[in-house]
Amino acid sequence: MSPRHVFAVVRKEIQHILRDRSTFVLVLLAPTAMMLLMAYALTVDIQHVPIAVLDYDRSPTSRNFVQQITAGDDLDLYAQVSSMEEIEALLMRGEIKAALVLAPGFARDIRSLRGMPLQIIIDGTEPQSGAFAVEHVGWRAEEFLNQALSAQMGALGVTQGISQPIDLRVRAWYNPSLKPRVDMIPGLISMMLGFPALSVALTLAHEREHGTLEQLMATPIRRTELLLGKMIPYVLVGLVNVILIPLLAMLLFRIPFNGNFIVFFLLSAVFLFAILSMGLIIGVFMKTQPAALALSFLLIFFPGVFMTGIFFPIASMPEVMRLEALALPGTHYAIITRGVFLTGVGLDVLWPYGVMLAGLGVIFLAIAGLFFRKRLG
Amino acid sequence: MGDSQSEELIPPVNSNEQIIIETQGLTRAFDKTLAVDSLDLSIRRGELFGLVGPDGAGKTTTLRLLTGLLKITSGSGSLAGFDLATQPEEIKRHIGYMAQEFSLYSELTVLENLRFFAELFDVAVEDFAVRSEHLLEFAALSPFRNRRADHLSGGMQKKLALACTLIHKPEILILDEPTTGVDPISRREFWDILAELYDDKTTVIVSTPYMDEADRCSRVGLMYEGRMVVCDTPEVIRSQLEGEVVHVRPEDWQAARGVLGELPGILETQSYGESIHLLVDSAEVRIPEIELALKRNGVGVKEIRPAPPRMEEAFISLIRGLAAHEDAPEKP
Repeated sequence: MSPRHVFAVVRKEIQHILRDRSTFVLVLLAPTAMMLLMAYALTVDIQHVPIAVLDYDRSPTSRNFVQQITAGDDLDLYAQVSSMEEIEALLMRGEIKAALVLAPGFARDIRSLRGMPLQIIIDGTEPQSGAFAVEHVGWRAEEFLNQALSAQMGALGVTQGISQPIDLRVRAWYNPSLKPRVDMIPGLISMMLGFPALSVALTLAHEREHGTLEQLMATPIRRTELLLGKMIPYVLVGLVNVILIPLLAMLLFRIPFNGNFIVFFLLSAVFLFAILSMGLIIGVFMKTQPAALALSFLLIFFPGVFMTGIFFPIASMPEVMRLEALALPGTHYAIITRGVFLTGVGLDVLWPYGVMLAGLGVIFLAIAGLFFRKRLG
Repeated sequence: MGDSQSEELIPPVNSNEQIIIETQGLTRAFDKTLAVDSLDLSIRRGELFGLVGPDGAGKTTTLRLLTGLLKITSGSGSLAGFDLATQPEEIKRHIGYMAQEFSLYSELTVLENLRFFAELFDVAVEDFAVRSEHLLEFAALSPFRNRRADHLSGGMQKKLALACTLIHKPEILILDEPTTGVDPISRREFWDILAELYDDKTTVIVSTPYMDEADRCSRVGLMYEGRMVVCDTPEVIRSQLEGEVVHVRPEDWQAARGVLGELPGILETQSYGESIHLLVDSAEVRIPEIELALKRNGVGVKEIRPAPPRMEEAFISLIRGLAAHEDAPEKP
């Protein structure tokens, strides 16, 4: 291994990144820009879900209940309707996401402590808003019942030792308001660092397409020297993003950064090594840039979104997919980023994931090196 | 390139030198097609060897085999004493190779491209300073040293590519159609550089589709369908032409072509501007006949004389002969 050979390729590659506008945008600007876009578009907190109310009871209690439920920013009373047909029409036009039906005798049943005859209809094509409405209504209904119960007890003259029949208090640690954005952004960082991996695959395919690779193969450069020389500049570029993205996340989205930045930086470098080795495999096997681009989406971005636990918990995946998720660097890095940002844990907890990433990187790089030949055809 | 003054005294064909490139039965198959078929090649140090032949003859494959970029299917070969099959990496240190579609790193400047290749070939930093200056001057690129490669003209790019392949002072230079798509003046300049390298006793193998370039080589190999058909000096190849060339300059070119087409003993006609080159079985016999036929048809003749055969005529004739031979009888 000649450091001079590696350095020659590194310098050439950095000059390429800085001077070729499309590469510059792809590796230095795209991750940050995409991060902002995704964070705004994908993880908007659910608020102001429009609902309709069909109140068969028409009592002060039922009106009071509806008023309480729609008081905050969570549910908006879109319409008071008088038939199920109207509800269906509103749902089909997408004007409401959920509807509440208050049965006749709503007030009477509550007063006699028989329960709360309440139906909730949600738009199943948009389960997220629907589930939010169900959760919110359930919580408010519980509160409302507890109030009614206290009032009854008071009327009966019981004032001492009143306790609520149900007292479940949820505390979301590390993300107290359970905002999805807080949970998403650390995960999204691992996706954004897929861009340097895509670039490294493209640059190898580009050299193959343009004949410069044939020229390189006719020089004494070793395969590992060339692959390392290709990788190092993109690790450096990735690390620039590793600094930029958390800064933006903290400044714009007020994401907490509870851990140690040095730990995050080091583990990010290991992650970049692993994901870039994956990019090199793609670049070694694909002969053209379009092919490398397509495969990068199939191997890096697509699984990076759906299989690394960023959007769907890995525990709920079938076993085969869980094993596959283990082989994806993004899976381990998602745990690392969440750990550093939100939980604030250090190397003592995160080291196994760092070791996994390093191991994956070595395996991927070995595969790339094994199949990269200094021969044509 | 160093002290070329004393070396100009060396005779044009470096025939006493040792053999530096040798192949025996070199063969490369792609699926079932033999791109290179049992090639026996023997090139001496200091030769300027031209590889010619129609497209698909196997020139590029041959050169890629010699650089170790392609695996040999069968046969053997050696370059500078290293075995083609087992020592491709050693060979790469001793050759400079310019691929047919050589493209430089377009975002890098002239000097940066040179430095990149110098580093890959382990050229010492002190040597690089001297050699790069020399090569830039040699290739007339000195004023453009800080210009990006993609802002150079096509001819300058080729010269820069050549300079990049020369930066480590290779013993053997392998150039695959280096002047294809280059304007005639740049082509001439490029060949003047090769001539200097020849004077310097660098071994050069160059493939080319241009016959005037083949004429400037010390030895020429003609490839056809993967095989080496002829391999000799340009003089010998020209003299092998079956028939002789007659140069005619008629007053009325159109009419003359009509008349000449009817005559016996004329194997081929080729136009060169106002003149016509006729390939005839015997110039001595046919010149009076041609003169007579033209006079009878009222076509005046400004000039008629036997002409030295050109490389182009020799090759076209050879290739036509081979193609005809192949079409006629069934192959065994």
